[in-house]
Amino acid sequence: MSIIIPGDSVQVANSVALGPGVVCTRNRSVIPVTAGILEENSKSIHVESNGRRYVPSTNDYVIGTVTGSFGDAFRVSLSDFTFPVSLSAMAFPNASKKNRPNLKVGSLVYARVSSAIPEIDVEIECLDPTTGKDGGFGLLEGGYVFDVSLAYARTLLFNPNYPLLNQLVKKCQFEIAIGLNGKIWIKTDDLKHTLAAANAIKQCQLVPSSECSNVINSAFKSLSQ
Amino acid sequence: MDGRRWNELRRFQCRINTHPNSADGSSFVEQGNSKVVCIVEGPMEPPSRSQLSATEATLNISLNVTPFSSIDRKRRNKNERRIQEIITSLKRTFEQSIITDKYPRTTISITCHVLTLDGGLISAVTNSITLALIDAGIAMYDYISSVSAGFYDNTPLLDLNQLEENDLSYLTIGIVGKSEKLALLILENKIPLDKLEGVLAIAVAGGHRIRDMMDKEVRRHGELRLSKLANK
Amino acid sequence: MAKGIETSANEKAFIIDALTQGVRTDGRKLDEYRDVKISLGSQYGSVDVTMGETRVLCRISSEIVAPYEDRPFEGLFTVSTEISPMASPMFEQGRQSDDELLITRTVEKAVRRSNALDLESLCIIAGAKCWSIRADVHLLNYDGGFIDASCIAVMTALQHYKKQDITVSGEQVLVHDFSERSPVGLSILHVPICVTFAFFNPHGVEQNIKGDAKEIYVVDPNMQEELLKHGILTVTINKNREVCQVSKAGGLPMDALTLMECSHKAFTIAEKLTNDIKKLIEEDDLQRKGSQWKMLSASNDR
Repeated sequence: MSIIIPGDSVQVANSVALGPGVVCTRNRSVIPVTAGILEENSKSIHVESNGRRYVPSTNDYVIGTVTGSFGDAFRVSLSDFTFPVSLSAMAFPNASKKNRPNLKVGSLVYARVSSAIPEIDVEIECLDPTTGKDGGFGLLEGGYVFDVSLAYARTLLFNPNYPLLNQLVKKCQFEIAIGLNGKIWIKTDDLKHTLAAANAIKQCQLVPSSECSNVINSAFKSLSQ
Repeated sequence: MDGRRWNELRRFQCRINTHPNSADGSSFVEQGNSKVVCIVEGPMEPPSRSQLSATEATLNISLNVTPFSSIDRKRRNKNERRIQEIITSLKRTFEQSIITDKYPRTTISITCHVLTLDGGLISAVTNSITLALIDAGIAMYDYISSVSAGFYDNTPLLDLNQLEENDLSYLTIGIVGKSEKLALLILENKIPLDKLEGVLAIAVAGGHRIRDMMDKEVRRHGELRLSKLANK
Repeated sequence: MAKGIETSANEKAFIIDALTQGVRTDGRKLDEYRDVKISLGSQYGSVDVTMGETRVLCRISSEIVAPYEDRPFEGLFTVSTEISPMASPMFEQGRQSDDELLITRTVEKAVRRSNALDLESLCIIAGAKCWSIRADVHLLNYDGGFIDASCIAVMTALQHYKKQDITVSGEQVLVHDFSERSPVGLSILHVPICVTFAFFNPHGVEQNIKGDAKEIYVVDPNMQEELLKHGILTVTINKNREVCQVSKAGGLPMDALTLMECSHKAFTIAEKLTNDIKKLIEEDDLQRKGSQWKMLSASNDR
């Protein structure tokens, strides 16, 4: 693991998959195009960096707000001040022409990006394409949603060693959905717990992972007063 | 100081349905020497699709203070910031009191002409809009009646004219129906905090009186129409 | 104003639910004002105010001009507010929305119409020359409470500002440099402070108008609360218990009694802020004097 910036040279084995942050030039050399932490293993290589704006890419898990419906699709906003993406009414488990999912303007959905070609509209879907079941996707009811940085959302979702969620579970029961577009939805049985958990998650992105438990404790303590 | 007592309103006269052929709703309000004509059109299809809201009606208000309305014949710019501010305030007020979700995908356009101005611009305009909206048959929660009140030398004064407005600090309120709920409140000069309550109290009382007078006119007009129907 | 920001129904329901239980998402009490951090610039009349995430910069400048013909004994004072996409992408360049207009007007009314600055003291030669004071307010970051922050910024900057000293001889006006004569401050008559309240209606509009349900109000709303509010009220008040301006541009109807309650709350906040500002200015003054003396004594030593 090392910090890399554009202009540095990267040594790669012959057959690896290139992730975000590195590109292959015309003369077949690999160069970094963003600054960040270089992560590589035997199969892939990418640069981990924190962006401000979410750019959808296929297979990302996202949380979106429904902003309208037209024809047989819904318009969903993934982040503020960006173009909306479309969510087909057919992209739900057991959906048919007659069985339309009941989504109102303002509802939250947890979905997967099914196609992200820059030239055409991004599409998301609320089902697991391998099984056709919901796979945990769909409408999110109640709870609270808030924004975190993109890198932090990735850490929470993909890094099983990150201690936050395991420690949070000791404080209260919760349901959580983490969107790679920097949105986190959380729901607990009590409003104050939800707020405390949300604040704890928000504050943890500013401290090293060793201090997570302190942050959680103080967030819950300040609320119980 | 025109011979009124402190809690007396100026002569308040109003008519509704003054322009039955040219608009859906119209009214004429006279508060002292201030005269305002208001015309309401709608609910109708919006001229451009961009103004359309899928769930609510959109309000458009325009306010025309005629150049011959006040003593100094000043040509007022339509985009003057003060006028724009009043329009925005009025829009916010009426958006809350019209049951806008009854008229989705429509616009209601309101046009006010101030013929003569002798103080109480906002209150006269507000009252005229209320009446015109009622005449147009647009569903509202309640009347919005508006009146100004000032403060001079330890006595609160109701319904100021232009001369008084220039010299005294005053506030304008809009009251919802017979309640003590304020839909609109604008105060631009200094009033001691402890006196504020008294000024508000007479303004609320004045607002209720105006509401009653507007109500009377609406009922009178209703009966007139009813009798015409019966004759036919 | 909220163009581009989509607030989900879940968030709305949660925040209003939290407010009915007396909890705000940023952990404040319903009637708690955010901490105001004021920092004075190295030059007279430049002030940076931070309230939560909101940040406002104010700069005062002055020049000598001819007064208005109809007001020969008064100087000029203008407040110009600059709201650019720098503060938040929801503000568009070049186009002013209704909300921005209301914000600008409220700040201007609060400071200018209430005669916070003694305009007559700006007169140099009646009908011929006077000072023109200009306050430029720039919104650097937006998280609600812009009116409050800019009002504090302008008032602090005005108290902090010092203009060059002048001597008048006949028709001639001589402007002295800072090094020649120590600059003079502006004469401030009172310090108006704006306090904004946001109103929320947990029930339907109908119930509210009938008076069954009471609305909830919070002091100094942040951006999220400002986007969700049903009505807003700005009270401008000074230390002398004078209400300088109240504006409630439509929105949720509210009780007259609530207004009185709000004004009294605003007064306590304003009183505290005025004292804070005063203390800050005095400290800064002392510091500046200290360095001045040092300079003088240094020249004496030589």
